[in-house]
Amino acid sequence: MSERVLDINDLIVQYHTDEGIVEAVNGITINLDRGRTLGLVGETGAGKTTTARSIMRLIQSPPGKMTQGSIHLNGKDIMAASEKELEKIRGAQVSMIFQDPMTALNPVITVGDQIAEAILIHQKVSQDQANVKAKEMLEMVGIPGARLNEYPHQFSGGMKQRVIIAIALSCSPQLLIADEPTTALDVTIQAQVLELMKELKDKFNMAMIMITHDLGVVAEVCDDVAIMYAGRVVEQGNLDDIFRRTKHPYTEGLFNSIPNIDDRKAELIPIKGLMSDPYNLPEGCSFCDRCNYAMSICKTKRPEKVHFSETHFVECHLYSENPEFQLKG
Amino acid sequence: MSAKVETLSAEELLKTKKRSQSADVWKRLKRSKTAVLGIVLIAMFLGMALFAPVIADYEGEALKLNVKERLEGPSANHIFGTDEFGRDIFARVVYGTRISLFVGIISVSIALSIGGFLGAIAGYYGGKIDNAIMRVLDVILAVPTILLAITIVASLGASMMNLMIAVGISNIPGFARIVRASVLSVKDQEFIEAAKAIGAKDHIIIMKHVLPNSMAPIIVYATLKVATAIMATASLSFIGLGVQPPTPEWGSMLAGGRAYIRDQMYIVMYPGLAIVLTVLSLNLIGDGLRDALDPKLK
Repeated sequence: MSERVLDINDLIVQYHTDEGIVEAVNGITINLDRGRTLGLVGETGAGKTTTARSIMRLIQSPPGKMTQGSIHLNGKDIMAASEKELEKIRGAQVSMIFQDPMTALNPVITVGDQIAEAILIHQKVSQDQANVKAKEMLEMVGIPGARLNEYPHQFSGGMKQRVIIAIALSCSPQLLIADEPTTALDVTIQAQVLELMKELKDKFNMAMIMITHDLGVVAEVCDDVAIMYAGRVVEQGNLDDIFRRTKHPYTEGLFNSIPNIDDRKAELIPIKGLMSDPYNLPEGCSFCDRCNYAMSICKTKRPEKVHFSETHFVECHLYSENPEFQLKG
Repeated sequence: MSAKVETLSAEELLKTKKRSQSADVWKRLKRSKTAVLGIVLIAMFLGMALFAPVIADYEGEALKLNVKERLEGPSANHIFGTDEFGRDIFARVVYGTRISLFVGIISVSIALSIGGFLGAIAGYYGGKIDNAIMRVLDVILAVPTILLAITIVASLGASMMNLMIAVGISNIPGFARIVRASVLSVKDQEFIEAAKAIGAKDHIIIMKHVLPNSMAPIIVYATLKVATAIMATASLSFIGLGVQPPTPEWGSMLAGGRAYIRDQMYIVMYPGLAIVLTVLSLNLIGDGLRDALDPKLK
């Protein structure tokens, strides 16, 4: 069962621009087994999408550069793969679902042809066979096969996202990366799309990375959660670890910024300040300027990992100083 | 997913008709009266070009010298009159249509294929490739189009073939620029990245995803450029660098009739009118297409 699909080790990605170096991802380690779903949570600019794109080697270069670390997909070293090998991997082994279904489909090609395109690239089938398979995929995501020959503008946003899911799954990849798949959809459709993704993930027994800033989505579909801040995973654990045994002040801040359904009058407590400038990350903990618990050591020294259990760790000085520390909640 | 799903057999599936974009564009184009006028006119000229042998006799009317009937005004026999060598002007205008349209379309095709290729490469890959291609084309662009065409014809020798090459080459930079610009506007869209994410190769992405989405400005520009190419052809022929007499070409007919413009105005009027109408109709179509292809005006 525990078949390792993805292995990211100490990955560093930087963007070298005229204004300086943007440190987008600073030493991330992620492992993902078959059949598991990892939620990658963090605010805008935390490096979630950059991490996802580096898995597919879709980082624009220049200015993007993977300066350190390794990525292994099914044991294969992605960093060393040639462009030709990458073309074979993309779509067949890893697929990506994009954030905005309105722009992720080519407006001048029918949805059927777009699904068939992925199949034709990776499988040795005729155009007719690909069309039939495309129809099957379309029906699998709940769209009548008769709409195969329609253009994207004839579909609603939720339907387009289903088409994109169909394209992503058409070659049954082992790993599916969903980059905020529900952000652009309205709430009623979000639940349907998430349900569909969960269902299909189980059906194909894939691994999935769900990138989101919505903890509700995480609770709905994920097994494990990695909280990202300024290009690092600051806390990682399974759903229970993160939701019930919250350790990192930033994770706590995220929970406090969500409306509480039991106490509707409770005021939201946003995290003060803004994400630190990625051109110029602080030497110590990058969250310390915004942290309510900040100590002097936080300014100067980068925190080490502190493990609470096999699944749960946090990068925070609070616990290396005092393992019994409790957040105020 | 409890949605009831209609099932179709593979055979039925392949039969379902695609509602194509060109049908939409055609519908919108028809709404513009000026564009329809342009289409009617150009259809007339195309008909004249295609059925020229039915309409007039090439050897007997357009080419044969007939001194007895020279410089006759329009009559039932020669509805546009005859020129200084007694050739039927109507027949010459009809056969001239063939040359003008042919040269116009072929030279634009040359410019479009070479310029389009260069522009697509430059726009898609960017960086050094872009710089190298565009700087070379900028140099060509610095020379006025017609002057460049004159230079090329002068060095290659005056013939219809060289005329097309000259007009074609001098239009390459314009096409490269317009294709590059529209490729640039498309290539950063998410569906291009999505295509990369399913493992599509560069040339497939360019051909299937980038170019079809940047077609609109290219089609409009090409239509308008056929008009200017026809003008350039006539201009070059007028100064003796294009199609050589006695081949009936509108520009060279103008040049020949120039001396008689005071007394026999019709000699230059009809070929002149033909040039004006073709260019006008192409421009009308181009303008109509510009509106019809703009999705914002749906």
